[in-house]
Amino acid sequence: MNEHRRQILQMLSEGKISADEAERLISALEDRPPVGSSQNVSESATKARPKYLRVQVDSEEAGHEGPTKVNVRVPMQLLRAGVKLAGLIPQQALNRANQAIHAQGIRFDLSQIKPENLEELIDQLSDLSVDVDQKDREANVKVKVFCE
Amino acid sequence: MIPLVAVVSLRGRESRTLRVWVPLILLWLLLVPLAVLLSPLIFIVCLICRVNPFRAFSVGWQILRALNDTEVEIEHRSAGVSICVF
Repeated sequence: MNEHRRQILQMLSEGKISADEAERLISALEDRPPVGSSQNVSESATKARPKYLRVQVDSEEAGHEGPTKVNVRVPMQLLRAGVKLAGLIPQQALNRANQAIHAQGIRFDLSQIKPENLEELIDQLSDLSVDVDQKDREANVKVKVFCE
Repeated sequence: MIPLVAVVSLRGRESRTLRVWVPLILLWLLLVPLAVLLSPLIFIVCLICRVNPFRAFSVGWQILRALNDTEVEIEHRSAGVSICVF
């Protein structure tokens, strides 16, 4: 017997809940899909692997005739390939970039970035969602970045 | 699969849309002999820059393959341009 069902029946036998309440709780349990079911697994699998990164910009400036809209769909594969391209940067160029970064007072070493770390970073992008909404007298700008 | 077709749509102020289908496969066919001719030069440049030429080729190929399904749409006032790669 299901552990939750047993608890509900125990509460009923102890008189903590009425028969109606027990029935409602059991039916609610039956409606809920079990943890680890195939549906849950497939949902999490599809959620974990988004195909595209979408960037939408909607800008409306005062005094202009109409809005400006930008809609960019970038395949995640392209991001992954781009990350690998970063791994081809020659050591001399990395050293120069590091020096420039250090000159700005930022303690960051670009050579420490490994392709596998960046792969992981891209995998985590699936949960990324950026929503920027700026409204003032001159402009109304909306920016949305998300994975789909 | 590398992208074979790009669709470029241009919309003017009169709401007229010009849609151009660009057969990228023809472009690739034209570029292959050029790439073959330039490959020794690219190889030498990679060695000078201390970049593994085979890795560079592999990454370039992956980027080309990943271009599939890329979509860029820009609308300004009533005009707009859209590029889709398939």
